[in-house]
Amino acid sequence: MLSPYGLDIIESCLTCKMRSDRIFCDLPTAALQSFEAIKYATAYPKGAVLFVEGQAPRGIFVLCKGRVKLSICSTDGKTLILKIAEPGEVLGLSATVSGKPYELTAETIDPCQVNFVKREDFLRFLKDNSEACFKVAEQLSEKYNNACHEVRSLGLSHSASEKLAKLLLEWSSKNGEASKQEPRVKLALTHEEIAQMIGTSRETVTRLFADLKKRQIVQAKGSTLVIRNKIALKALATNS
Amino acid sequence: MESATQQSCLDCALRPDRIFCDLPASILAALDAMKSKIVCPRGTVLFREGQPAKGVFVLCEGRARLSVCSESGKHLTLHIAAPGEVLGLSAALSGGPYEVSAELLDNAQVAMVKRKDLLAFLREHREACLHVVDLLSQDLHIAYDRVRSVGLGRTRRPRTGSV
Repeated sequence: MLSPYGLDIIESCLTCKMRSDRIFCDLPTAALQSFEAIKYATAYPKGAVLFVEGQAPRGIFVLCKGRVKLSICSTDGKTLILKIAEPGEVLGLSATVSGKPYELTAETIDPCQVNFVKREDFLRFLKDNSEACFKVAEQLSEKYNNACHEVRSLGLSHSASEKLAKLLLEWSSKNGEASKQEPRVKLALTHEEIAQMIGTSRETVTRLFADLKKRQIVQAKGSTLVIRNKIALKALATNS
Repeated sequence: MESATQQSCLDCALRPDRIFCDLPASILAALDAMKSKIVCPRGTVLFREGQPAKGVFVLCEGRARLSVCSESGKHLTLHIAAPGEVLGLSAALSGGPYEVSAELLDNAQVAMVKRKDLLAFLREHREACLHVVDLLSQDLHIAYDRVRSVGLGRTRRPRTGSV
């Protein structure tokens, strides 16, 4: 079935070819059948808000396709992006389990397919399926690891250039680029969004990129960034 | 660190108030069988950030400071853990290194459970696994609150200030 957003919707988790690669979805058939009965497969356009920080938890959102921006916001409108969630992640998990308000805001940055499960149904599902419960614990552990990383980066980095260098190295370590001498990074975010990831202003990010290019540490090729001097970038990241 | 008398969790009067410990007797007996109770003086480092996760530490008595550290040796406190909390849980589950360092702020009693034993225990006892999911959710709430205060300079909970 083709949705209005050009997504090829996966109707059943049982026939999903991607599930073996995804922590939460790789469940035994019996547990998947129970999950099938409680999930709602939905499609969202780019820019849709799945849930807002502070809202009472309605349930979890399993991201099947597309990416979602997870952010927190201050009362004066300052935004901090914690993570760009990739397919396979379960969003709103800790709030749904604990019953406390969602800690983050989740907004789609691509057209997305999301499987929604209501809170009561999900809690019952966890009680009945030990394997699912274990996978949820694993997902929460990963999220905790990510949150600690964020605290470290925001609280202990000295400068915006250090934070930007760390972010670029982190992105370059994905998609098999880590071992390359000149890894490539696909810049899927705007300077504004990168600024929100490292807690600085758009102007600073633009200035830092110009400086990195001038020093030939990075080179822009369309929306791809080539890291020409990994050693210099690492030195910036460690503030040495 | 020294081994303490192996006091049973079944005899602990405090366990109904503690998420992880409030388990049925049969599950607690299984926990009892695999834990090692240790008494540690104030200042003991239970684990350091970056070390491979050996297991979890259930804080029976005393408090612990959880902190992260920069390459230059600067520390940032993430949370002060209170009795009843389980330390090193996410690293033990994911198999990665500890994300934080844990240092005791008081003389403390700690029950240590090895990673391998914990994983087998959780797979066998669904109720314990649900408690762990609850604990991890709480840990995550705390971590997000810290991200908020460090990154945006505020906490979500309104302060009860004087009028």
